[in-house]
Amino acid sequence: MNESSVVIDLLKKNDEKTIRAVYNDNKNGFILFAKRYNLSHDDLIDVYQDAIIALIENAKKGKIDDLKSSVTTYLFGIGKFMIFQKLKKEGKTIAMDDFEKVEIVYDDYSEEETNLQVKLLQNGFKKLGEQCRKVLQLFYYEEKKLDEIQTLLGYTNKDVLKSQKSRCLKQLKELSK
Amino acid sequence: MDKEQLVERYFENQLSEEEHKILQNYLDTDASFAEEFAFQKNVKQAIALNERAELKQKLQSFESSKSTKRWISKWSVAASIAVVLGIGYWFMSQSPDTNELYDQYYQSYPNVVAPTVRGENKTDLKSQAFYEYDSGNYQKAYELFSQLYAIDKDDYALFYSSLSLIELNKSQEAIALMDQFDLNKDNGFTPYFKWYKALSYLKVGEKEKATKLLQSLSENQNPQQEQAQKLLKELD
Repeated sequence: MNESSVVIDLLKKNDEKTIRAVYNDNKNGFILFAKRYNLSHDDLIDVYQDAIIALIENAKKGKIDDLKSSVTTYLFGIGKFMIFQKLKKEGKTIAMDDFEKVEIVYDDYSEEETNLQVKLLQNGFKKLGEQCRKVLQLFYYEEKKLDEIQTLLGYTNKDVLKSQKSRCLKQLKELSK
Repeated sequence: MDKEQLVERYFENQLSEEEHKILQNYLDTDASFAEEFAFQKNVKQAIALNERAELKQKLQSFESSKSTKRWISKWSVAASIAVVLGIGYWFMSQSPDTNELYDQYYQSYPNVVAPTVRGENKTDLKSQAFYEYDSGNYQKAYELFSQLYAIDKDDYALFYSSLSLIELNKSQEAIALMDQFDLNKDNGFTPYFKWYKALSYLKVGEKEKATKLLQSLSENQNPQQEQAQKLLKELD
């Protein structure tokens, strides 16, 4: 097990100390590199935070289990990608070759924030019981397979878990009306 | 495979291309199924947005706790400056040690060229060079970047091999290497070459050469302009 996979493992567990260390260790380097894109300091911090969030999210989804580069390199790749998205949204022209090698898997849900049902579901989810939140969170957010969730949460068989999951969805629908 | 299973496999990222088509077909022909599917996709987004909002809050708290610390330390700095002033005014008239300024301003430059962002198993020379650089193995990184530079004469290879030398505390050699970069050329690397070259000059005590580079950096807009102006003032 190399250093990256230790960090990735701790990020998966939401380990606060690790998150803080990754955040602090890479911040200055990121700002130093990203200054050239003429974004304000606040914007840079904002992008940097979103990149950290994406890093943690992809760690939880198991997308970087086989990462061969360092966590820092991966984080910068994401940050670069996000700056590119941001500049594009603002209609600024940028030299493409700066970014052409960057490709990451991350869904930007910013448009969905105005979707009313999503808004209602966000509030409804907070009112769900803990077990339901766990099941849905593992399945939809961490993109775990039902078999994995069954083991993780100790269900005796998959059908029990399946009916639990559909009960939770029903509850969530009710809470989000 | 029934509809429910298809949806399950969709969210598990397990659908084959063929199954994708079958799912799409159901979505096109069965309105209530399409509605249920859209609902679950919204659930996915809602949970993601909640998680992200929570994390964002945490990260923002890192920032605010830091600025309070900085605020406190500003006062302690002010206090100690007052003490220093009281003890010996003569010391202030001495020009600052260039080596000290180097330590104060030098910061490792990150790898921003070759992020292997998909966790792919890339073993080509370039990725390997950056891997060593990221891991702090600067000797190895220097060798690999030099090889790369010999092959395709790319600026990035020259830049990172110079930086590796700087990290190895070989400032004189780094300067010699950076001489190969034509500073009149104007690309993304130019200001950084100037900046790190200036710092290397400081490190070896060549204040005049450093000043000249810093002056050219401070004259027009570039990412290192502000830093250069600050450092120039301290050198004065």
